[in-house]
Amino acid sequence: MDRLQVTDLHVEFGGVRAVDGLSFSVREGEILCLLGPNGAGKSTTLDLICGKTQPTGGSIHLDGVEISHMLEFRRARRGVGRKFQVPSVYKDLTVDENLSIARSKRPGIWSALTRFALTDSRETEQILDLVDLGAKRSELAGNLSHGETQWLEIAMLIAQDSKLILMDEPTAGMTIQETERTAEIFRSLSANHSLIVVEHDMSFVRSVADRIIVMNRGAMLAEGSIEEIEANEDVKTAYLGH
Amino acid sequence: MSSKFQFELVALVIFAVVIAFGVPAVMNYDGFELNTFARYLALAIVSMALALSWGVTGLLNLGQAATFGMGSYAMAMHLKLRASSGLPDFMSWNNVSELPLFWVPFNSLAFTLLAGLLIPAFIGGLIGIFMFRARIAGVFVAIITLAFLVAFQLLVINQQGLTGGQNGLTGLAQMTLFGWAFDPYSMGFYYLVAGCVTVALAIGVYLTHSKFGLVLRAIREDADRTRFFGYNVANYKTLVFCISAALAGWAGMLYTLVLEFASPTYMGVSFSLAIVIWCAVGGRESVIAAAFGAIVVNMLEGRLSDIFVEGWHLILGVIFVLVVMFMPRGIFGLLVEGAQKLRTVGRARPGHAVEPLSTTPLETNQER
Amino acid sequence: MDVIANQLFAGLSMASILLMIALGLAIIYGAMGVINLAHGEFVMLGAYVTWALQTHVGIGILPALPIVFIAVALVGLIVEKAVVQKLYHRPLDTILATWGIGIILQQLVRLGIGAESRFVKGPEILSGNTEIGPLIMSNYRIFVIFFSIAVLFVTWRLMTRTEFGMKLRAVIQNRDISECYGIESKRIFSITFAYGAGLAGIAGALITPLFSTIPTMGTGLVVDAFLVVIVGGLGSLVGSAVAAALIGEATALFSIVINDTLGRIAVLAGIILLIRFRPRGLFPTETRR
Repeated sequence: MDRLQVTDLHVEFGGVRAVDGLSFSVREGEILCLLGPNGAGKSTTLDLICGKTQPTGGSIHLDGVEISHMLEFRRARRGVGRKFQVPSVYKDLTVDENLSIARSKRPGIWSALTRFALTDSRETEQILDLVDLGAKRSELAGNLSHGETQWLEIAMLIAQDSKLILMDEPTAGMTIQETERTAEIFRSLSANHSLIVVEHDMSFVRSVADRIIVMNRGAMLAEGSIEEIEANEDVKTAYLGH
Repeated sequence: MSSKFQFELVALVIFAVVIAFGVPAVMNYDGFELNTFARYLALAIVSMALALSWGVTGLLNLGQAATFGMGSYAMAMHLKLRASSGLPDFMSWNNVSELPLFWVPFNSLAFTLLAGLLIPAFIGGLIGIFMFRARIAGVFVAIITLAFLVAFQLLVINQQGLTGGQNGLTGLAQMTLFGWAFDPYSMGFYYLVAGCVTVALAIGVYLTHSKFGLVLRAIREDADRTRFFGYNVANYKTLVFCISAALAGWAGMLYTLVLEFASPTYMGVSFSLAIVIWCAVGGRESVIAAAFGAIVVNMLEGRLSDIFVEGWHLILGVIFVLVVMFMPRGIFGLLVEGAQKLRTVGRARPGHAVEPLSTTPLETNQER
Repeated sequence: MDVIANQLFAGLSMASILLMIALGLAIIYGAMGVINLAHGEFVMLGAYVTWALQTHVGIGILPALPIVFIAVALVGLIVEKAVVQKLYHRPLDTILATWGIGIILQQLVRLGIGAESRFVKGPEILSGNTEIGPLIMSNYRIFVIFFSIAVLFVTWRLMTRTEFGMKLRAVIQNRDISECYGIESKRIFSITFAYGAGLAGIAGALITPLFSTIPTMGTGLVVDAFLVVIVGGLGSLVGSAVAAALIGEATALFSIVINDTLGRIAVLAGIILLIRFRPRGLFPTETRR
């Protein structure tokens, strides 16, 4: 069964159709890359899936359940995780505390009341080692460098362990080595997570994408493997103009 | 266990020891002085209650005095009934011929004690649900709670026959529990209040260092982000409002016991501001610091207002503005920064690796 | 029927006073995002300056207005430069700091002049009433209503038609870019704050014949004026005017049905509900940050 099924999705902002009749699906364990020129509606699509924005039409099913009118936290509990374009970690909290927030298998109040903030766990340690932040556990996230902040947010999404992870430009500002490392992590994540990745870095897309969707003006322009997309005339026109 | 948690536990123990042994000794076990200090301790609870919602969660509740007043009146109503044979005196002066229905259960002490906690908690919860479901945040929380406070105080003053109006509730009996009358000038009474403060602070310290407290701090920084991790932000905020209101109610009950009357000025805008000042001076991030702030400012007020009878409020205003501008983290912030400097010096010496004490800058994220 | 007509007029009079206080607040909040809780004390200062001018110098309310405006605007300017400017990045803290300043101003006046209430005579020309059938309207109140409308109009012109207004709007929209074009946002903010304070001062001067002048007179007014600003939509001048009219009239009419206090409580409750369901007010502006 498809993990995510988006059908005829619409959203308008003050008369502008940011997403206009978009339909696609994501399978279990698949990495889907969203490409498209600026303003094509990629980030808006992620916003609609995670609940930041309410659609004006269409439906979104996660594992067969309609989620398009659920509040954000309910979608998160059902298994939608989101990384934003601007790295958004909690700058006033330590790295450890950030991960503790992200590890939200039991997000209810009662469970939060009966637990200490930081419980040493091997899982946290493993995740932090994976992104090389093991030595900075008690550092404030606000003191991390830009690259480290990106890693921390990726670590938080791994810790959140959502079924479907939405990544908005995860490699922005990263060095080539860091980007390769991210690609590796994403591929290992795809063993038991589905990912939708918005990305401009084509070499990164090439190395992780199972499938690509190119968007333009809120609608799907092309869909297929990387080879198919690179050969597509419509895509060339959309990117390069006439 | 984090270093911050250890730090606060140590502070809590020191605090408890000082108010249990140090303070009575310094005051020569003088009943009058201890009563005054018990008053400060009661106010410490309401200040720390504000730290939970304001300092930890970033919700500036300007209506804290209203929930304090509810607790205070709950206790006063019970003691008034105890003191009156039949109808309380002010009711007959206002041509109220029969005890109003909502007064009747306050004949029971058990009900009163519960009501003093639960009524504020319930009201706090209602306001919380009302605001936070609609994602009201930042400045609007301050304005709505302020408007509520003004309306509530007007109502209490207006309903003279039911509440004693402008005069409040005076001529109260002493509370008796298991045959023991609470003389507010006795040692036993002082220890009751001191015990309450310690327990309230222990609850506060636990809450701030539980996962619940961590989520609250995350909400203060970025409520939206926190939703995407699956936390029901509205419920978290509502609960912290409830807890804070219940603690304020508790403080109010003690305050009535200490002063032996209840007044509508407890629900006034200026009292609410005073709570904010204590909390800011002590340090809004830490419940112990906020409690300490209440005690320090009130002691200062006690001493200075004798010397500068007229100018005290002016001095208080100046102190407050200076604290907000230059010491936004209060006395607590000074201590933390001092400790950090010491540690950096310590770290410079070889073979002396020390974990830095992590701190929380106070730039709270505000949704508008 | 007579009662209602007279209450409607009383409501309008109330509204005109609220409007003048709220205008200053609205400008300051709209431009700087600063909630100025010392605003009530600016009103109080205006009232005391008027009183001082009348009792010690013998200048009546009307000729005193420009002096009051300048005096209170100066106080505002000092407060802005000394305190508010340092807190631009901490909006929640400006509430507290200005609240503290409010206390300081109030106490200074209480210590310097005394806590007892002072009385100011209304202008001779405007004494007496205008009667239309059963409706009895004090001339002075009529004057205040028209004056507040004039102040609204002048302020609106200032914001939309002058170079200062243009710069201010530029700063509101994007502070950094405006700075790049050589607009000193700090100066613009200082002037805006001073102007807002000056308006509060004028409001204070005009209410002296209607209210008793005491050091705490501002505290109650500022809460109401704030609610006007928020109900109207932060930063919207027209919104503030409509909201002032609504709140003034609602208070006046409620107090016929129930008593004064309960009327005020009902209005407060209504406002809380309104903020809950329309947090951006009746006339939200698009340009706020």
